[in-house]
Amino acid sequence: MQEFIDNIVWEFTRTFITDNRWKLFLEGFKNTLTITVLAVLVGVALGTVISVVHYVAAQAKSKIKRKSDPFLKKLGRGVLLFADRILAAYVAVMRGSPLAIQIMIMSFVVMRGFSDKVIVASVAFGLNSAAYVSEVIRGGINSVDSGQMEAGRSVGLSQIAALRLIVLPQAIKNILPALCNEFIAVLKETSIVGLIAVTDLTRASDLVRSRTLSAFFPLISAGIVYFVLVALLSTGVSKLEARLAQSDRS
Amino acid sequence: MTEAKTLLETRELSKNFGELKVLRGINEKIVEGERVVIIGASGSGKSTFLRCLNMLEEPSSGAVLFEGIDMTSPETDIDRTRQKIGMVFQHFNLFPHLTILENLTIAPTHLKLKSKEEAEGAAMQLLHRIGLADKATTYPAMLSGGQKQRVAIARSLVMEPDVMLFDEPTSALDPEMVGEVLDLIRELAADGMTMVIVTHEMGFAREVATRIMFMDEGEILEQNPPAAFFENPQNPRLRDFLSKVLY
Repeated sequence: MQEFIDNIVWEFTRTFITDNRWKLFLEGFKNTLTITVLAVLVGVALGTVISVVHYVAAQAKSKIKRKSDPFLKKLGRGVLLFADRILAAYVAVMRGSPLAIQIMIMSFVVMRGFSDKVIVASVAFGLNSAAYVSEVIRGGINSVDSGQMEAGRSVGLSQIAALRLIVLPQAIKNILPALCNEFIAVLKETSIVGLIAVTDLTRASDLVRSRTLSAFFPLISAGIVYFVLVALLSTGVSKLEARLAQSDRS
Repeated sequence: MTEAKTLLETRELSKNFGELKVLRGINEKIVEGERVVIIGASGSGKSTFLRCLNMLEEPSSGAVLFEGIDMTSPETDIDRTRQKIGMVFQHFNLFPHLTILENLTIAPTHLKLKSKEEAEGAAMQLLHRIGLADKATTYPAMLSGGQKQRVAIARSLVMEPDVMLFDEPTSALDPEMVGEVLDLIRELAADGMTMVIVTHEMGFAREVATRIMFMDEGEILEQNPPAAFFENPQNPRLRDFLSKVLY
């Protein structure tokens, strides 16, 4: 028994204390969090834009061309429909190719001269996540009864205003669980950024393993940290869901 | 006496859904102070006609004019004209994520027609009038169907519309709640609001309408003031329809 405890203390010391290895883990943790948060922000912002452009373009196909319509005023309908096609292709490419390939292309080709690889990884993950988020939001918009948009338009709101004030808030409420899934996926997928030499949590644990030649402790520690982060994230989203469900009580 | 102002006018208004001709070239005028009730079997095009009047349904051909402005023209700012055309839906379509008060104030405040305080003042006044001031801070899910529809009417009224469109306002209600909604519409009628109502409530139509239209297969087959309409129907299809709905 004593031997077992001694063994654990020794492994723990080797993994975290010797050579200040905890600093490596801390750096990895920081990078994992940074990439996840930035990617989620980019993903939600760009994903919303993609889904809104798609919605407006789909509506524009069937309607009279109006000068007062959003986008159409400045862009014209041809540009809008073209943009929608480009974005659809973008979503197809982003969902249809491996993320590992995407981050390597971003790092070694597109943003080659960029020295801060954490930013490069954040951009790559954000651009990828946007494709998934846009599909989730598109589904959310479709889940809101068409009478909501009609009621919004009937009191004089523009299409964009009705989307923003009436439809999207309800859509987001409906898609929170799916969005939460996406955020969890982004968090865990960041574990491949070692491919472009970013020290994230996974990479940190792997570096320590290669020094100590003992695999269990570093890997299980990293695993536990991911698990706790996911647990915190899903608890947070559940709380948000409960708050948004306030208006459902009858 | 000057001629009453024409609020809504349709010219050769047609609407097709694919092969199906829902409206077949309707020419119609609705003048200020009129209360036009549209009746007809389901599928006759009456709801489509009503929805064309505020362009929720875009005509396949023809024009819809509101106060002389052609709403089918690309030059027209449809959002501006819609502010003056109130619309009440069969399924209320209240905004479930907003409180009752916010349901009323969101459009006037977002459109900068009123300050937040003014909009809330006007909204509370309307909620008092419909007897739901105590529900201002609750959400639509907590209201009965009749209450929801009264709030929906108030939501239109807060925009101070020149005309109100009602699309089967009582069809989705439990029978015991029909009365409170019809009472509110009667009140508006008494105040001189111009309205176009699609309904199956024949007694209400007779009482409140200045003119009743019978629609069938995308055309207006007959229209008359209520007395003549019900007592002396000419068109055989109208007679057939009335014999089925009046018993």
